[in-house]
Amino acid sequence: MSVVDSPRPAGNAAFNLLIGTIQRIPPVVWFEWRRAFTISRLAWMLSLMAFPPGLLFLVNMAARNEPRVEVVSILIFILCACVVCMMSVFLWATPVLSSELEGRSWVYLAVRPYGPIAVLIGKYLVAVSWAVPVGLVSATLSVFVFNAEDRGHLIAVHSGLVLLSCLAYSALFLLIGVIAPKKCMVAGIIYTIIFEVAFALIPAAVNMLTVQYRLRCLLIRWMDFDKALAERNPVFLSYFGDESSAWHVGVLLGMTAGYLIVAGIILRCREFTAAIETES
Amino acid sequence: MFRGETGMLLELQNVTRLYGTVIGVNDVTLSLAAGAHGLLGPNGAGKTTLLNLITGQLSPTIGSVRVLGMVSRSNPNLLRRIGYLPSTEGMYADVSALEWVTYLTRLQGFNAHEASGLALQALERVDLAEHMHRNISTYSRGMRQRTRLAQAIAHDPELLILDEPFSGLDPIARHSMTCLLEGWISEGRSLIIASHVLHEIESLTRSFLLLGSGRLLASGSTDDMNELLADVPSEVRIRVNKPRELAADLLRSGLADAVKLIGAEDLSVSTALSAQLGRFLGKAVTEGEYVVSELHAVDDSLQNVFNSLMKIHRGSV
Repeated sequence: MSVVDSPRPAGNAAFNLLIGTIQRIPPVVWFEWRRAFTISRLAWMLSLMAFPPGLLFLVNMAARNEPRVEVVSILIFILCACVVCMMSVFLWATPVLSSELEGRSWVYLAVRPYGPIAVLIGKYLVAVSWAVPVGLVSATLSVFVFNAEDRGHLIAVHSGLVLLSCLAYSALFLLIGVIAPKKCMVAGIIYTIIFEVAFALIPAAVNMLTVQYRLRCLLIRWMDFDKALAERNPVFLSYFGDESSAWHVGVLLGMTAGYLIVAGIILRCREFTAAIETES
Repeated sequence: MFRGETGMLLELQNVTRLYGTVIGVNDVTLSLAAGAHGLLGPNGAGKTTLLNLITGQLSPTIGSVRVLGMVSRSNPNLLRRIGYLPSTEGMYADVSALEWVTYLTRLQGFNAHEASGLALQALERVDLAEHMHRNISTYSRGMRQRTRLAQAIAHDPELLILDEPFSGLDPIARHSMTCLLEGWISEGRSLIIASHVLHEIESLTRSFLLLGSGRLLASGSTDDMNELLADVPSEVRIRVNKPRELAADLLRSGLADAVKLIGAEDLSVSTALSAQLGRFLGKAVTEGEYVVSELHAVDDSLQNVFNSLMKIHRGSV
């Protein structure tokens, strides 16, 4: 019987941390996935999944004419990549740490080698793996509500946006949950309203710091709306920038990695244990 | 046997831990060799803070903590070698004991097969194998406590750290837990057990650390403690055939500071010389001068022991 990893020289501390953490992520993902597989959670996810196509079906019914592809695409983007993905990862990722602290189960994880960071990353992956299928199915069904010409392209674009949205927002909400574990849900809502809704719509440098801006730019690029918008009114460029799609994807993935790294550093450096003496 | 650089189980050097302006642990210096040690103190004495420092969940504000020769804070190499049972429950109610212990053992670095085997062994050891597939939410307090112990011992640690392991257990469960820990100690492994009830850990170890208000008040064996407390003012209740005569004798000899007759046969004696009083009574009984049918200290509770030690510490005794 032997443990998977063995002690290495102190100089390899970062390497040890990386390897030790990676080795412990699969058990966390497996364990949390099994715990999450409950009827109530499935029902909630199905409801969330059905919400955009249901709403869009009603919109389509009420419309006199078939909506333009730009309108359809923007509606699907707002409902799927923004509302559904953001909401599902918000509910998963934000309370990752606070639920363990409140349930007093954190101490059991904190005394495992590399346990805290492995739990953080493992739970992040679980959040993403639950939210992505919900977003993908939701976006695909939404596309089929309308009689669009190039459904394959629409599905591909929105699937990409859903995936990036889940990856980035999960990491963002996870970080918020680690920074403010006691008030994580409130902090998450306030951050979302201020930055991802209000600031993201301000045509200034500050909106480039938001996930929303990057996703919006990608929608415009991937749907080839940018040229038409620029011709119509050049001021739109300040809302969507002129960087390439690859740049936006790179920045989004970089932001995701950055959020996770900062969350990991905070988790490793900060003390989450308060002295609680037994009362009896 | 563990492999520490200094060969010591635990080394604390002037350790102070502050929570803002509140002192959790105050200037504690100690060295412990391998073996079983009891950490005693009333609620709020700083036991849990000290254990959090030892398990590396907290870092000292001042001073240094070394466990098995290693720095304790965020040290994966140390965490592989210790097992910890915290005072709080904190188990997932929606999983079985086997799933939970296997999961935590996997986080120790074992693969799925090994972790499952180790978890099974640990649950068998705590006599929970029969119920290990049931959800933890259906367990009694004693079963949950045994499950928590199983997660602490499953990876076969060199040092087991237990925070109030007897808390909330009924007498049968306490006995079962005591037997299990006696077995652990008899295998030559190290144990640090924190409690606020002296008799709970008296049967497990004779090495004690007494904490009060975050300070290490005393350390040593039970004999050392008794010696330390021998001359601390205490109240002794004596049931004797001639209480009035004995009261007069004690006052005359200076062994009693005050005496109080209680009923026809009982005498309450306040003394700062309890050891000498004991010798005096022994001699008197042997010589047939008095018939003593009962003798006990009134304030032998742990809280009073701590109060006495605090008085010694403050220099008021």
